[in-house]
Amino acid sequence: MPTRRDRVHALRIMLTLAVMLAGASAAGCGAASSQGPVTLNWYVYPEPSGSFAYAASTCSNDSGGKYRIVMNLLSTASDQQRVSEVRRLAAGDPSIDILAMDVDWTAEYAAAKWILPWPAAQAAQVTRGDLPGPVATATWNGRLYAAPLNSNTELLWYRKDLLAAIHRPPPTTWSQMIDDSILLAKQGKPHYIEEQGSQYEGLTVWFNSMVDSAGGGILTKNDTIIVGPTTQVAASIMHRLATSPAADPSLNVTQEAQSETAFEHGTAAFQINYPFVWAAAHKDTPSIGKEMGYALFPRVNPAIAPRVSIGGYNLGVSSFSQHPQLAFDAVKCMIQPQFQRRDAIKGGLAPVQASIYGEPAFAKAYPFHAQIKAQLEHYGIRPQTPVYADVTLAIQKALSPTASINPTSVVSTLGTEIKAALSSEALL
Amino acid sequence: MSAVAARSETAIAPAPQRRRLSDRVRAERRLAVLLVGPAAIVMVAVTAYPVIDTIVLSLQRADLRFPGASKWVGLSNYGAVLKSSVWWQDVLHTMIISVIAVSFQFVLGMLLALAMHRTLVARGLLRSIALIPYGIVAVVSAYSWNYAWSLTSGWIPKVLGLTSDPLSHQFGTYAAIIVTEIWKNTPFMALLLLAGLALVPDELHEAARVDGATTWQRFRRITLPLMMPAILVALLFRTLDEVRIFDVIYIFNQGANGTESISMLNYSTLLDRLNLGLGSAVSVLLFVLVAIIAFLFIKGFGAGAGPSGKRA
Amino acid sequence: MSQRARQLTGWSSAFVLIVVLSLVPVVWIVMLSLKTPATATDGAFIPHQWTLSNYSDIFKQGIFTSALRNSIGIGLISTALAVLLAAMAAYAIARLDFPGKQAILAVALAVVMFPQISLVGPLYNLWRQIGLYDTWPGLIVPYMTFALPLSIYTLSAFFREIPWELEQAAQVDGATPFQAFRKVIAPLAMPGIVTTFIIVFIICWNDFIFAISLTSTTKAETVPAAIAQFPGASQFTQPIGDIAAAAVVVTVPVMVLVLLFQRRIVAGLTAGAVKG
Repeated sequence: MPTRRDRVHALRIMLTLAVMLAGASAAGCGAASSQGPVTLNWYVYPEPSGSFAYAASTCSNDSGGKYRIVMNLLSTASDQQRVSEVRRLAAGDPSIDILAMDVDWTAEYAAAKWILPWPAAQAAQVTRGDLPGPVATATWNGRLYAAPLNSNTELLWYRKDLLAAIHRPPPTTWSQMIDDSILLAKQGKPHYIEEQGSQYEGLTVWFNSMVDSAGGGILTKNDTIIVGPTTQVAASIMHRLATSPAADPSLNVTQEAQSETAFEHGTAAFQINYPFVWAAAHKDTPSIGKEMGYALFPRVNPAIAPRVSIGGYNLGVSSFSQHPQLAFDAVKCMIQPQFQRRDAIKGGLAPVQASIYGEPAFAKAYPFHAQIKAQLEHYGIRPQTPVYADVTLAIQKALSPTASINPTSVVSTLGTEIKAALSSEALL
Repeated sequence: MSAVAARSETAIAPAPQRRRLSDRVRAERRLAVLLVGPAAIVMVAVTAYPVIDTIVLSLQRADLRFPGASKWVGLSNYGAVLKSSVWWQDVLHTMIISVIAVSFQFVLGMLLALAMHRTLVARGLLRSIALIPYGIVAVVSAYSWNYAWSLTSGWIPKVLGLTSDPLSHQFGTYAAIIVTEIWKNTPFMALLLLAGLALVPDELHEAARVDGATTWQRFRRITLPLMMPAILVALLFRTLDEVRIFDVIYIFNQGANGTESISMLNYSTLLDRLNLGLGSAVSVLLFVLVAIIAFLFIKGFGAGAGPSGKRA
Repeated sequence: MSQRARQLTGWSSAFVLIVVLSLVPVVWIVMLSLKTPATATDGAFIPHQWTLSNYSDIFKQGIFTSALRNSIGIGLISTALAVLLAAMAAYAIARLDFPGKQAILAVALAVVMFPQISLVGPLYNLWRQIGLYDTWPGLIVPYMTFALPLSIYTLSAFFREIPWELEQAAQVDGATPFQAFRKVIAPLAMPGIVTTFIIVFIICWNDFIFAISLTSTTKAETVPAAIAQFPGASQFTQPIGDIAAAAVVVTVPVMVLVLLFQRRIVAGLTAGAVKG
């Protein structure tokens, strides 16, 4: 049997190896060099068209050797991005400088003091010429905490040929749209209304758009719950859609990608989705793309123009960054109009600079630029609260599956759930 | 090498003097400590801090977003969890999935183990292919099945002739998740069962056959009892894994449609809501639940008579 | 011999059934990986349009190749260390008598039962402080730790079945202790060790939650984490073809392992009672 000496010897070798490995890696992760450009770590999702990478490298080159932006890639899924960012921020990670933040994370990050507010003078400069919606998402307690990078808003996309077949104009309200769909169903034509009904953030986006468009809201700025009659109207419409022939059988698991897929497969007459679907449909199924029309998000209250929840990304500077001023400079560079233009045309990301919407090249790539601009000026916004993660979870659980919404009790259910979310003392 | 491993213990010479016996015992214990030491140290060192941290956090009201606002609240987090209907619903969901999945895995695993053991056709190839589901990355397997069950993009609903989306309803989602778990884990169950199966001496089967016993009788009276230790280890490990099911549920729909598991609840409380106090309480309660199940297995069915105990 | 013919037919049918059931989802992923982006969601089992572009796509990005390297390296090292430590412990548990035998098994069981998700936060903080974050050792240590319980259980079951007195018999026959170990015990222990090695490697290969939490760059990211970073056509679309291609690529080494070592696995599981 192996002697004790053999065993002890093996142990010693192992321990030495382990210590060496640990030491080598610790040294490897050591401090950045003091000479040469400062490395700014940008935590961002893998943007498919390479426009973000282009902005990062161009700004690095133009900095005159002062800094070099290195992209650290996060997951493609938004909630996974947040989990990764938050863990590092909560640990005070000094190696993060710039963060790409989904627009609904601003309040959370700001209240937890994970991101730095912009110095007042620079704040005005950064947001000059930006549309009001995106700026609102980057603001918390009256201060600008992030620089708007790009925005997003959902439009109504419809099949021109199907509407022509029932001799109806593009619907302007939700009840019209659902009625149109029912009429198409009676005639045995494709008739689904594609919306995002899965239990995830997209459901909150839908619900918030409906409530804001009804003229109400969910939370005020100081976390007062204001769900009421407008909430009931909004939830009732969602319930009506989910229980009518207009509902896609997969509504409970539909996210943005599935909505687009269903529309391209030809089973849907309408879809509420982000503008990426335009380029996608024209590329994947030109026969459907040809028949694709676009319009403003349907009205909930016929008298009020729709207010659609704003999406998009802002750029924040970490409080633990060792080079905050350089980080601010880098961000200022990356949000310039030329990069926004490129992000928009190559990457399908709507710009936040108002002036770009009038440019010919942009208008050509985005025939619906007027609708997007209008919805970013007259906008809806999801509750801005430090405990947004809890609030959105409460909303999602209360409203999913949409077919099970009880219109009479939904207001009190939501009130209870959101209250539990705000207090952080109960499971959701 | 003999077909049946000899069962005799290493003989300890009946030492005449007491001193020599205790010397030997002492030497044995020293050696044992030296051999077991490294593994024990690694396990305890790496898990001690996180486990203690979790328990400590579960007694506080702690939120990652408000690091300065932590305060001690004793057992009130546990109270909040145990009083919450969300917790009990999730326990129910988890139990349903675990019991059904493990039962199917056991039956199918036993059949697969029998095939792997006794087949006359391409035994090597059969074993290799049957082990493939086990080797696939779990997340990818979940993803593949999720896609396969999709009404528009997958093939299963077409094959079953379904018009409604199975994944949009609780029953369909349960079925899809359980099928995914069964596919992925039956080979592992079969491996563990095969270990026990192969140790049943052929002579016993022969003798029983000569005596006129049917296949089923031989299985029930000879194979099963002799396999008991292996069966119980297999069931124990698989049940512990199923109760902590996470990957598949996360990918299928984050636990919507009434399929949220306890691990999913743990994830959403700890990592989504950043509520360390409540989340840690859920973790500890999940651990307690798993420990209770393990205890029931070991004490109730004698699964402890595995590696270290007596054989049947 | 009609009984034999009947048996052969029966087992052949069973063979086909098992192969089909085992392979259908695997074939599905392969089919998905060969679909063009336009047809990825058409629901057909066999692609209408074929392409290999997904495979060239994933290797064009540096993420995947370095992820493969990390997965293989980290997997092999963690497994080797786990098996080494477990073999030592299992030997003691199977052969020696000492107080605390039940305790060590209880600790092993407890380690494997604790929810991994809760360990991620504290481990992340600890690793950051001692500089193990985003390094190979940073993943090797947790993988090794969580592989130990199953390894110890499996190996001690094997070691219990080994006829250790054969070693003494060999020494009586004139072999030195080392020769006795090498020629008699080692071959008997090897199948068990190989089996445990494979089981543990697959566990490390599969891990997702530690991989995404304890790494952040290509220095240490493994394949499951890298897959989560493949960009889709847009912010909202998942790159199904790429993910499927990556899945196929990472399944190949495991399939090779299983095919090569199938005999050893089964021999090991049955302590040599059943030859391949």
